[in-house]
Amino acid sequence: MVGLPYDCLANPLGAVRSTFDKAMSSDSSTAALDGKDWGASEVFRQFLFDDGGLSQVPLLNSSTMKWVQPNTLVRFRGMIQDMLGNEFYVGAYKDGDKWITNKFADASHDPSNASSDMRIWERQLLYCTPVPGQNSWVECTPDAMRNPYISAISPLREKRQREDEAIKSDVDMEPGYAIEDSPNLKKMRENGVAFEPFNLQKVVTEGSASNSSTPHVERDSVSCLVKIYDSPESDLKLNEVFEFVGIFTFDPDLTIPIDDKEVMDDFCEDELLCLPPSKVPRLHCVVHRKLGASDLVSSPHLELTTPVIKEIREALIGHLTAILGHDRLAAEYILLHLLSRVHARVDEVAVGKLSLNLTCFNKENMSVLGNNLKLVIGSLMPFTECLPLTVDYLNSVTLTPKKDYITNRLVSGLLQLAEGSHLTIDETPLQSGTLNSGGLENAQVLRSMMESQKVHYDFTYYKMEMPADVQFLILSEGKSNILPADLVLPFHPSSVDSASGVDGEMLKAWRWYLATMKSLPHSIDPPLQKAVEDDLVAARQEDRSLSREDFSRWLTMGRLMSVSFGATSLSMEHWQMVKELERLRKIRFQGNL
Amino acid sequence: MASDSSPINTRDGQSSPDGWPTSPISNTVSSPGDRPRRKRGRQSSYATPSPMPADSRVRTPQATPTPSSNARRRARARRSSATPTSTDDVPPSSDVGEGNEDDAPVVYVWGTNISVQDVNAAILRFLRHFREDPQQIEGKYMRMINHVIEMEGDSLDVDAHDVYDYDSDLYTKMVRYPLEVLAIFDMVLMDMVGRINPLFEKHIQARIFNLKSSISMRNLNPSDVEKMISLKGMIIRCSSVIPEIREAVFRCLVCGYYSDPVVVERGRINEPTVCAKQECLSRNSMTLVHNRCRFADKQVVRVQETPDDIPDGGTPHTVTLLMHDKLVDAGKPGDRVEVTGIYRAMSVRVGQTQRTVKSIFKTYIDCLHLKTTDKSRMDVQDPMETENEASTGDDDSTQKSEISVEQLKELSKQPDIYERLTRSLAPNIWELDDVKRGLLCQLFGGNALKLPSGASFRGDINILLVGDPGTSKSQLLQYIHKLSPRGIYTSGRGSSAVGLTAYVAKDPETGETVLESGALVLSDKGICCIDEFDKMSDNARSMLHEVMEQQTVSIAKAGIIASLNARTSVLACANPIGSRYNPRLSVIENIHLPPTLMSRFDLIYLILDKADEETDRRLAKHIVALHFENPNSSQLDVIDLPTLTAYINYARKHIHPQLSDEATEELTRGYVEMRRRGNFPGSSKKVITATPRQIESLIRLSEGLARIRFSEVVNKSDVIEAFRLLEVAMQQSATDHSTGTIDMDLITTGVSASERMRRENLVSATRSLIMDKLTIGGSSARVMELLEELKKQNLGGGAEVHLSDLRTALSTLSAEGFLAVHGDSVKRI
Repeated sequence: MVGLPYDCLANPLGAVRSTFDKAMSSDSSTAALDGKDWGASEVFRQFLFDDGGLSQVPLLNSSTMKWVQPNTLVRFRGMIQDMLGNEFYVGAYKDGDKWITNKFADASHDPSNASSDMRIWERQLLYCTPVPGQNSWVECTPDAMRNPYISAISPLREKRQREDEAIKSDVDMEPGYAIEDSPNLKKMRENGVAFEPFNLQKVVTEGSASNSSTPHVERDSVSCLVKIYDSPESDLKLNEVFEFVGIFTFDPDLTIPIDDKEVMDDFCEDELLCLPPSKVPRLHCVVHRKLGASDLVSSPHLELTTPVIKEIREALIGHLTAILGHDRLAAEYILLHLLSRVHARVDEVAVGKLSLNLTCFNKENMSVLGNNLKLVIGSLMPFTECLPLTVDYLNSVTLTPKKDYITNRLVSGLLQLAEGSHLTIDETPLQSGTLNSGGLENAQVLRSMMESQKVHYDFTYYKMEMPADVQFLILSEGKSNILPADLVLPFHPSSVDSASGVDGEMLKAWRWYLATMKSLPHSIDPPLQKAVEDDLVAARQEDRSLSREDFSRWLTMGRLMSVSFGATSLSMEHWQMVKELERLRKIRFQGNL
Repeated sequence: MASDSSPINTRDGQSSPDGWPTSPISNTVSSPGDRPRRKRGRQSSYATPSPMPADSRVRTPQATPTPSSNARRRARARRSSATPTSTDDVPPSSDVGEGNEDDAPVVYVWGTNISVQDVNAAILRFLRHFREDPQQIEGKYMRMINHVIEMEGDSLDVDAHDVYDYDSDLYTKMVRYPLEVLAIFDMVLMDMVGRINPLFEKHIQARIFNLKSSISMRNLNPSDVEKMISLKGMIIRCSSVIPEIREAVFRCLVCGYYSDPVVVERGRINEPTVCAKQECLSRNSMTLVHNRCRFADKQVVRVQETPDDIPDGGTPHTVTLLMHDKLVDAGKPGDRVEVTGIYRAMSVRVGQTQRTVKSIFKTYIDCLHLKTTDKSRMDVQDPMETENEASTGDDDSTQKSEISVEQLKELSKQPDIYERLTRSLAPNIWELDDVKRGLLCQLFGGNALKLPSGASFRGDINILLVGDPGTSKSQLLQYIHKLSPRGIYTSGRGSSAVGLTAYVAKDPETGETVLESGALVLSDKGICCIDEFDKMSDNARSMLHEVMEQQTVSIAKAGIIASLNARTSVLACANPIGSRYNPRLSVIENIHLPPTLMSRFDLIYLILDKADEETDRRLAKHIVALHFENPNSSQLDVIDLPTLTAYINYARKHIHPQLSDEATEELTRGYVEMRRRGNFPGSSKKVITATPRQIESLIRLSEGLARIRFSEVVNKSDVIEAFRLLEVAMQQSATDHSTGTIDMDLITTGVSASERMRRENLVSATRSLIMDKLTIGGSSARVMELLEELKKQNLGGGAEVHLSDLRTALSTLSAEGFLAVHGDSVKRI
């Protein structure tokens, strides 16, 4: 931060304004800045990435909400749950002779003094929620922020003073802006340090609790209205996981009195009414980046060599085997399953998915093994959800997201999941019973999602297909006919003993392994391609019942198998391993009959 | 918006945008006066270089008082003398209306070089002289104005394309400065109406529609504010009708004096603080008299993007529409509409009572014209119209605009177009070329014919695909569904009879009975794809009889007797009854469909999974490629989907091939040949190889083939190819497996001639066997024993006797009363 005239962290708006002034002084027309960045985001990028400022930016969650100051820089990780369209705002206006920008701020102004000139710019509104099913370990990145000010009072004071100074200098710099904003800040100062965090938190929890659109998100998490500037719309897609760095505003002053009767008539007046600024924090995004699987886990600082990968793989298989009651075959399949992802879509076919159905679970081993399995998957994959399949559940729950035209919001359903989520469906508690129409629809939705990795979002007048990439694991007594998985494997545990504990380093390595291997590219060499084709033809000549789906599954498995060894192209050895696995699986079936 | 320019304004001769009430939504301060000015200041190309006083929007640089008898006509000539940039100071009080009526100085729209007179004259010329067809004596719009006067209407629909064709400059001005130009437009209209019928008092508004370019909701941006735009979308919500005050009358509580009407100004009414009566003058005594105020209807409507405009991974955008007066209730939720209007933005106040506004603008569209584009629901009651109209609705017009007709014609001239199209159809499904050709014919379709006698022949080709699981039937279906102009995809298992055809429902609100269209009616003039045809209930299937030949759906229930059009091609696919095709059984037995329905399919393809190494290899290759390569790179020289769609749409709409003499001859010859084929020399067996239904199919197929080439004439080659297609389909479905000849009886009754013979033989053999072994009322025999005996005797006509065959024979005999069958035992009676 040395050398910069402003503190990007504590006074980002100062940085915005000073760059704006600079841009204005060199190129005096505001029209040129329409929909463009004048270098502010460059400054932030440099601060965050080149100068390593990113780790100093507090991550916004329920605990940091208590002490994060408005108009400071925060980070927020979340899934885009809904897109609220574009918003036109006064991007810049003339106050006297001077242009003042409103970009990255939630300001209101008095029409009487902002008389003559203003420029309307647009920004994109996104409603972001924490990623559904996010496991607690994801948050605890090594650079997780501890509030540096909460332990001791004096640094806090210091910080306050620093900020006040910043604001004061602001006042000197930009009278118009500071006046508008300062009542809010002043109020906070008056309220005092002790009261304010409590107040904020209370409001926030209320906000997320009353928010119907995120029913299954934990109570203590934070949803956020993110405002995106100057970014092409195609960059940000629904259900993608992003990290936003932006200016946090949380402005209880902007509350609109709810007892406004005329609101009833003009329903479309303010679609943000259900997201009042006093309840849902705003984030004026400066920099955003998409989070891939490997961004969510910390690297164990291991070299990416084949022996190392092989070692990790062995250990992981060993652990899974232990968890699964010494069923190594199941462990191998689970590993492949955990590595699967949709890597291409051709027409209606999602290539690369590998849903797994473990059968032969019963009440006894379910309670131990099933739960262990769920726990293990939860500790390995960043986003996991579990769904107990019962008739009552199917009849009552809403799985697909639905557009609510009254609030003009997308009401989330359980199946609005981020890319790469893992969904375990426990079919063991399913009893015979009658499905009502809702239940039937839910069953069909689950089925179609599993088959084509697409969810049909309900827009009342039509359904909209949204691609998904979710790994399905089904635990059932017999083969699940409601949810036909790509792979059905009878589960044969030999012993039911609780698995030994795993140390944190190991777990970290495994997470890293799964995340990294999953995103490896993959190809096939022509000679091997020929060999594989020959194999397929021979197999089909032998057994006519082999279908397209079987071949597809083998190839997916071949890919995943070599990926699990860190290889980027299929080798004969791995192909043989797949065939061996399939042979063993077939034997199990025969043994079962 | 035109509606927004309220009668009062125009009557007062004000065209200033300031006077327009633009606070449709409470909690806002509308400041249109500020923004247009600001906006216009930015229009550098039109802006006058000299600074202007902020208050005046129209200026009169040159006051040249002229007698106004035909001032308008000369306005143009006068303007040439006036220098638009000259800004001599003239009191800014003169406003458009007066200037126009009286001394006609050149008046400019503030900040532009648009002269009011100029626009006025241009509009007048357009209205007077625009003719669609030079032979017409009276201008199109003059006729319409007269019509409006006769009908006592209140609006005139103006096609923007006409404006553009007549005067592109006026069009540009109108789109850029709609508020001003439309106000002038309305005044010109009023003036003209006043001349034609001085007693006509109603205010007529111009409603512009059909702009040259329409914008996608997603691409609306700040630069579109205050411009005329047109966009497509779907109505998702309508508010109740809101009475909006236009003129308020106040009464003094003290003396009872009624004030003059107070007009809305900037979206608000100023309540007089003092009684205007000289004797009274009491303060704060005025109260609003509701029933003497004037109100106008207003409605707030939300429009959302249509699903096809939404990019991957996005959610639909919405925009608010403001409708006034006649436009209220013009659309209802679910309607697809095309909206023309003015895009506006307004600032939002922080609180109801506070003056501070947020830095955010709310945007909305002041609706000028609303057209519902979705006809599929409305079509239900439509009379039979010709293929030319409404065949594909609006979809093709947008698509075709991207791919020009020329390109399509160019494409059609290629010699291998038939092959190319075949290749381009579902390129990911390899093989099945003949099936694809058949589907192509279905997509293009034949000509529907309606004889004067009332008999009609369908032009739609129905296709049935029967095949083993995993032979990508469903994928083909999905593909066709995506491609076809108005396709509906249903699954037989999930469809009921009413779901397919139509049903009568009671509207929960009004209690009226309404017809709800099912899949077949909805896919009128499209292709209805029915998956899992075999799993459909019999009841539902029986509904298809009417649809597939008569192409109508008849409803007679709950007080509604109707016959709905369902001119749809049916593409069905079915699995064989035992999930795998049993070659020993006939097609009918395999699919288990009633023969009556089967015969209504023009083409029945059997897609069998043959144990063929070559196909297996291709499958393997295909799947390997799918998994490891970029799947798109493997296909070459195929026509992309939009082009294909455009091609098909164009052909369906514009090409109506007729049979040439040569083709007719060939058709006759081929048909006779086909029928003759059944008569084996020296055979008493009568085998029908072709039926009149087939000749109809052949005509349709050859017409479809001619359409593929964009040819208006059906050639001999088309007929030959049609025969080939039919034979390929027939060979697979109608081959009598025992004789190898084509046998239409197989389709129509499910039993081939030779099979019938064999059955008769077996029945007689069984009869004699039972006569030998059993006595009347004596002991019973077991079926298995009989089977053994028969096998020994080998009386089954050379072929092996099966238990099922025997059971059929036994049931025939028991029907004759010859014996009784109880479970497994047979007893002679």
